[in-house]
Amino acid sequence: MLPATAVALGVLAALLAWPVPVALARAGWPRRDPLTALLCWQAIGLAGGLSMIGALLVHGLAPWGHSLPEAWWRWVTREPAQEAVRGDHWVAQTLAAVLALELLGVLLLSSVRTARTRRRHRELLELVVRPGGPAGETLLLEHPAPVAFCIPGARPLLVLSSGMLAELDDAQLAAVIAHERAHLAERHHLLLLPFVAWRAALPVLPAAGRAHDAVRDLVEMRADDVALGSLSGPDPRRTLAVAIVAAAGGSSGQVPDGALAITGGSVAVRVRRLLAPADPLPPGARGAALAGAVALLLVPTLLLLLPAVA
Amino acid sequence: MASLGELERAVMDRLWSAGGALSAADLRDGLADRGLALTTVHTVLTRLEQKGFVVHDEERPRRFTARASREEHAAELMREVLGQAGNRQAALARFVGSVSADEVGMLRQLLAEHAGAGVDEPPAG
Repeated sequence: MLPATAVALGVLAALLAWPVPVALARAGWPRRDPLTALLCWQAIGLAGGLSMIGALLVHGLAPWGHSLPEAWWRWVTREPAQEAVRGDHWVAQTLAAVLALELLGVLLLSSVRTARTRRRHRELLELVVRPGGPAGETLLLEHPAPVAFCIPGARPLLVLSSGMLAELDDAQLAAVIAHERAHLAERHHLLLLPFVAWRAALPVLPAAGRAHDAVRDLVEMRADDVALGSLSGPDPRRTLAVAIVAAAGGSSGQVPDGALAITGGSVAVRVRRLLAPADPLPPGARGAALAGAVALLLVPTLLLLLPAVA
Repeated sequence: MASLGELERAVMDRLWSAGGALSAADLRDGLADRGLALTTVHTVLTRLEQKGFVVHDEERPRRFTARASREEHAAELMREVLGQAGNRQAALARFVGSVSADEVGMLRQLLAEHAGAGVDEPPAG
């Protein structure tokens, strides 16, 4: 029997399903160090899934052995259980399988769907757009709304609208391009992908939605930070902030008032941290956060691999 | 040798400027400076049909028309880019998401509050 291990994993899963993501989403420090916070979110997502499925698996396979690898092997090779197998063991096994399949299946489905949408966007772009934005690799889309976006993937595309070109000066355009390039260079779409999938897989879990929104906002802040590093000029922070406000202002006609849901005020957070930057996170705090992220991954892994605590 | 993507665009340009249906032979003749074989034109047209950019009628020989104008395709793309469908948002990374007029006012105020001397203001719009 492995009751203590299963209980410990269950407690961890519960913590990672609700209080931990809520606390991190509310915390103030992530906007001082978006990269560290993004790593913490990845650890929470991974450890959460691992402990949720692990807890069920450990309980379900308990009659077969004293550690999960041992019990798993006996179960796979169809050896008889060493202890009586009750109904709740079968239920736990089934739930573990269903949950694992759902999480992985939704991740796969979400990737396929996103890839299909990207291909469609790429085809439309190739049809309507001619190369020749301000920087060599950017595409210029004839449209009055000031819009900039990139399509990530093996063949990434960076697109500016003519409205954006009209609205911004050269330094501001350079800031916009640097921001979008940062998304592509750091593969931010891959950081966001699991959270998009899990929000879809676990709609009953409000924390999944909060986690997605937090990661989406942090990715934008991180891209702002990276962009600042490559910008010259007297006041790159203000240049980028002005570009953000101009882009937001020009496209506001598209969204009815009160439809804040899509950004939830995160554009204001971005502008505020550019104009009045907080001190960067001290190295000690940063180290503690990263150590916490590593511990989050190690604890469920060790609980799953080591022999059960009696 | 022109890339397939560039040929697709050349064919679409022809169809758009023709204003009516064209057969594959018409297209080949219209693009004579490229010296295309008829099979190449057919390949390009098949790809464009698969992408939903071109439709053909039931005449013999088949005649092809553009499904929508360049402007309509650009508008379709922008609708998706600016659209709020949550699942679509993951496909691309927008510089700034859509915000309401209220929020824009608040953002402009933020910029004004932190205005430094001699720094340009955002254009009104």
